[in-house]
Amino acid sequence: MSVGGSRAVAITGMGAISAMGEGAGALWQALRAGTSGIRPLRHAYAEELRVRIAAQVPESFDPAAHFPERLLPMLDRTAQFALFAANEAIAQSGLEFADAALAARCGVVVGTGVGGETTHDDQNRRLYAEQARRLHPLTIVRIMANAPASLISMAHGLHGPAFVVSSACASTNHAIAQAVMMIRAGMADVMLAGGADACLSFGVLRAWEAMRVLAGDDCRPFSANRRGLVLAEGAGMFVLESLAHAQARGAAILGVVAGVGMSADAGDIVSPDVAGGVAAMRLALADAGFEPAAIDYINAHGTGTPTNDASETRAIHEVFGAHARRLAISSTKSMHGHALGASGALELVAVLGAMRESLVPPTINLDAPDPECDLDYVPNQARPLPVAAALSNAFAFGGLNAVLALRAA
Amino acid sequence: MTATSDIDDIRRQVFAIVARQAKIDVATVQDDSTLGALGLASLDAIEVIFDIEEAFDISFPEQGIDFTAGTVRDLVDAVVPVLGAGGEGAGQ
Repeated sequence: MSVGGSRAVAITGMGAISAMGEGAGALWQALRAGTSGIRPLRHAYAEELRVRIAAQVPESFDPAAHFPERLLPMLDRTAQFALFAANEAIAQSGLEFADAALAARCGVVVGTGVGGETTHDDQNRRLYAEQARRLHPLTIVRIMANAPASLISMAHGLHGPAFVVSSACASTNHAIAQAVMMIRAGMADVMLAGGADACLSFGVLRAWEAMRVLAGDDCRPFSANRRGLVLAEGAGMFVLESLAHAQARGAAILGVVAGVGMSADAGDIVSPDVAGGVAAMRLALADAGFEPAAIDYINAHGTGTPTNDASETRAIHEVFGAHARRLAISSTKSMHGHALGASGALELVAVLGAMRESLVPPTINLDAPDPECDLDYVPNQARPLPVAAALSNAFAFGGLNAVLALRAA
Repeated sequence: MTATSDIDDIRRQVFAIVARQAKIDVATVQDDSTLGALGLASLDAIEVIFDIEEAFDISFPEQGIDFTAGTVRDLVDAVVPVLGAGGEGAGQ
């Protein structure tokens, strides 16, 4: 498929950190191999928690190895992840922001569901449990939700529009949609966009337990024996630029964001609505100028909750009709877990990998057919398949949906 | 052994919690009422579970509660053994 049209936006760099380790490469290699990053929960309060498993960034991740010493006290874990991923993406893009004219037209949009939760939880413990009389002076700059966008702009001298968007599990896709719209509108030439979340604090884990949507043993999207989601953490960031900008500088294009679609269920705060997912997918297809039959692969929201996977399947049937059965669909959350605001970013790494290597990553742990999930979810093993066009779905708590339509470079 | 009066008390409290969440008269609640039929959608049902846990100072297991098809009797039956009341009703 040729690359063209002024509405399309090129992806020229990607970076990620996840349970699979440091780097987008580590993530993609694990996904294509069908390897899970879900492990027993590593946590100071593990003994007290009922949640037993999670997909956490490995203990080997050492912030001091990646960030200047003076910066470390400012960085919540969420910001560490966002900055790590942004650095990797920028390095891959080959862009040099020493050029003041370029830096003035480069912005940052980061999606995060929660923000500086690790700091919030630590400092609250000091205050309430340890009766501390004072908190760390950088507590505010660590907690503030916009910190990841600020820190990325500071680290690279980017002077264009920079901010954070938040829509729970759809945060990354909304962030990328925002960046695409700004490039299309001519408000920026280059945007760093993606998502980050690191909110596996004692308080937040307890809160998830109370919602009763967590899987006990593993994440099994679309399988009849699925019991819920598995929480994760991580980040993914991407360099987006107009096609003309990328082509003019001879950049290697990893893939193209051809369209975005967004909708709100305006219904239940947690139960997904088929119509909301349908609307977002249709809008993304229309924005991209794709016929439904042009889509080869969908990276599903696929949380592994009984409700989401059945509802998402119905939505795909409704949008694609007979073509639904010809689609390859997978939930890579079966491997990288549900990284909340960062999920869409980890999943975009999967989609770019699939398009570049003509290999669709699998849905692992899919061993029990469910009549309510009756499509081809690429069970358990990656499948060689040319992917010219794909959708990446994100349907958040709060009924906020954002779908990306992508095509191969 | 759980005394019948204890079970009656649990039942009375569970009925009251369900009725309060559903905003209906407690007389409307029957043993066989499903939470779904009482108009308690997923999130309301989670709140019912929370209210019951708070009222009896117990924790239900993470899995195994059907939020829509489960009946009020299922909730009462779930509280009795978790309370350690023992007895023949504890065969969950």
